[in-house]
Amino acid sequence: MKTILFVDDEPWFHESLRYALEPKGYECLFATDMTTALDLLDTHEVAVVVTDIMMPAGTKFPNIDSQETGFHLIRKLQSERPQIAIVCLSVIGDESKIRPLRTLRLDYLRKGEVPLATVIQTIERAAGDGGERVWRFS
Amino acid sequence: MQMRIPNDHKATIQPQRSSGEEVARLTAENSALKVELSEARKSNQQYLQNVAHQLTAPLGAIKWSIEALKDPEVSLSRKSKLLSSIYSQATILVHLIKNFALMSNLEADLELGQFRERPEPVDILRLCINLANDFQPQAAENEKKIVVDEDSFAGTLQGKKVQMVKNLVAQALSNLLENAVKYSDSRSTIVISAEQATVDKIGDTLVISVRSTGLPIKTDENEQLFKRGFRGSTAKQKVPAGTGIGLYLAKRVMVLHQGAIGLKTTGRDSRFKLMFPLSRLV
Repeated sequence: MKTILFVDDEPWFHESLRYALEPKGYECLFATDMTTALDLLDTHEVAVVVTDIMMPAGTKFPNIDSQETGFHLIRKLQSERPQIAIVCLSVIGDESKIRPLRTLRLDYLRKGEVPLATVIQTIERAAGDGGERVWRFS
Repeated sequence: MQMRIPNDHKATIQPQRSSGEEVARLTAENSALKVELSEARKSNQQYLQNVAHQLTAPLGAIKWSIEALKDPEVSLSRKSKLLSSIYSQATILVHLIKNFALMSNLEADLELGQFRERPEPVDILRLCINLANDFQPQAAENEKKIVVDEDSFAGTLQGKKVQMVKNLVAQALSNLLENAVKYSDSRSTIVISAEQATVDKIGDTLVISVRSTGLPIKTDENEQLFKRGFRGSTAKQKVPAGTGIGLYLAKRVMVLHQGAIGLKTTGRDSRFKLMFPLSRLV
């Protein structure tokens, strides 16, 4: 069973994702800040991290601006845990803010705007289950 | 006929400036105005982005929940949870939209200097209990409790009602409660109480307080918290998204009632106070 970790301080988005993924055989974990996410990664083998951008960094990172926490988490994961696939799920639509993500190996999807089925399909592909991975940026 | 120059006019008479000095003064004034305008535009843009985020988030959650409801693999019990979640998100949206509508109405009322809705005698204890019940489910998610100190109301009001516009004060109190629920510690208690106090420029007042323990508020931000679009730095760290209009609206509501809003913080304890002139007790 593959594990997906969702990092988002708006937990009401989690339910629909969890309910769609669990019947497909995935285990879902949830963290509402970066500190908790990294703690969970120390104790669980996670295939995909699905992360928001604007969220609290938590107690271990008091100097990170909450408007940019997701960028820090993504950089940290890519340098320290490159085996974990990343899907970024955020409501940020400002191209100038998300442009730096375009150069990284990850999918970027607009939370709540992209159909749920597309998000599920993207997560499955990131986990290596849905065919060849094509980076989505929508 | 001899003209008399009033004293305050005499005080503003300036010596004649040379045209060079005048140009320099106007140039400096123009630059300062440009900076001010650019800052106002930036703050407005930030505010609109926040508003868009606040409206998009619950709508997005509702949309995904509906998609999950259509999924035949999702069990009935989970579908029931999704429906509750849709209801909660819709409640959040209604509260937000009411705040925006209220903001435009309040601006008009303040310009007119009077209420559009007629103030009426309101049982403020009943109003506080109803609002506490509305926010209880949200508070319970983190094992928080909202308590109305009924004895303090009974002792202070002595059976009297408050002459006010119920919808406006309800929204102001909701905004205080929403913040208290959002920023207080898990498993803590939020207390709503009443008392009488003498306040500068208003005199004797009825004070309705919302007290909570949690996120400390920086003392140098106390005044700014009531400005439109401003969010405290510690609040932004804990909850990055927000419109920053809740306290601004609460202040406007109290000004319209010839009252005031106040904040007292001691470390991690915060007490937001709505103060009505005692003459509003009927």
